[in-house]
Amino acid sequence: MKKVWIFALLAVAMLSGCQSVQYGDATASETVNTDFGSTDLQMIAAKMVDDLLVFPPIVQITAQRRPIAFVDRIKNKTTEHIDLESVTDTIESKLINSGKFRFVDMSVVERVRQQLEYQRDSGMVDDQQAMVMGRQVGAEYMLYGNMSSIVKRDSSTKDVYYKFTLKLMHLETGIIEWSGEKEIRKSKSRGWIGL
Amino acid sequence: MKKWLVLLLLPLVLVFTGCSSSNMSAIEEQDDGTRATYLKSNNSLLYSRLGIRDPKMTMAGDLMRAQATLENRWKFKLDFQYKVKWFNADGFEIAPEGRPWTTVVMPGRTQLNVQASAPNPTATRFEIWVQE
Repeated sequence: MKKVWIFALLAVAMLSGCQSVQYGDATASETVNTDFGSTDLQMIAAKMVDDLLVFPPIVQITAQRRPIAFVDRIKNKTTEHIDLESVTDTIESKLINSGKFRFVDMSVVERVRQQLEYQRDSGMVDDQQAMVMGRQVGAEYMLYGNMSSIVKRDSSTKDVYYKFTLKLMHLETGIIEWSGEKEIRKSKSRGWIGL
Repeated sequence: MKKWLVLLLLPLVLVFTGCSSSNMSAIEEQDDGTRATYLKSNNSLLYSRLGIRDPKMTMAGDLMRAQATLENRWKFKLDFQYKVKWFNADGFEIAPEGRPWTTVVMPGRTQLNVQASAPNPTATRFEIWVQE
C-alpha cells in the first residue's frame, strides 16, 4: 500500500511539472473557442489592407501623394464584446506603414489642444519654438464600417459567422471610394463523450 | 500490485507524450526549383504532400501582388496553415508579424489559390510557408 502512495505522489508531481508558461507565436492560428480572437483580428486587418491598397482607383489616388484619412468607429452589431478599436488600430498601422496613407487621430484631439495651449499660454515654452495652433491638416477620407455576426447552435454544434465591412468615404463629396468585406466562419462540435 | 503499477504508469506515459513538443528540423530545399523558391516548411512530411503551381507576381501601382496555387498531392485531406512572407531586395523580411497563419483544409488532390499584397513597395519576392 505504501508503494501505491509513492507512485501516486510521483504521478501528481510529474503532472504538475507539465504546467508551464510559454511564449508563443502571436500570429499563430488561435482556436480556443468560437469567440472573436486574435487570428480573426489579424485576418480581417490583412484582408482589408490588401483589398484597399490594390483597388485600382485607390492605386491611382495614392500613386503621387499620401492622402490623409481618419478612422471613425466601427459599429459592433455582434452579441460579443469586441475591442474593434484594436482592429482599426491594426488596419491604420498597416496603411501608414505601406507608405500610401497618412492619418489624423481624433481620439487625442483634446490632449493636443491642451499641449498647444500650454505651449502658447504657460510662458514656459520659447515663443520661437512653440507649435502654433490652427495649422493642422484636415482629413480627406474617413474609414468606417461595422461588424455583425450570426450565431447558430444546437445540442452538439455551435456555428458563428462574422462579417466585417469597411468603407472609405471622401469627406467633401460623400462618395464611398472603396468598400471591403471579410467573412469568417467558425464552428465547434462537441465530442462523443460530451467534451 | 503489478496492476496498480500499470494503472499508474500508463497515464504518465500518455501525459509525457502529450507534453513533448515535436522537434522538426528544417528541410533541405529540393531540386524542384519552383517549389523550393516559393514554398517553405519545417515539416518535411507536409512539404512532401504539397505542391505549388503558377506562382505569379504583378504590380498594383508600386505594390507587388502575389498569387500561387497550392496543390494537395496526397489523396487524403490536408489540414494545415499557411503564411505569406515578403522580403526586400536585401533579403530582409518585411513586417514579420504582419500576417497571421491561415488555417485551411484541402481535400485530397485539390488546389487552392493563395493571394497576398506586399506590405509596402520595398518588397521584391515572397515565400509561402506551411505548417501543421
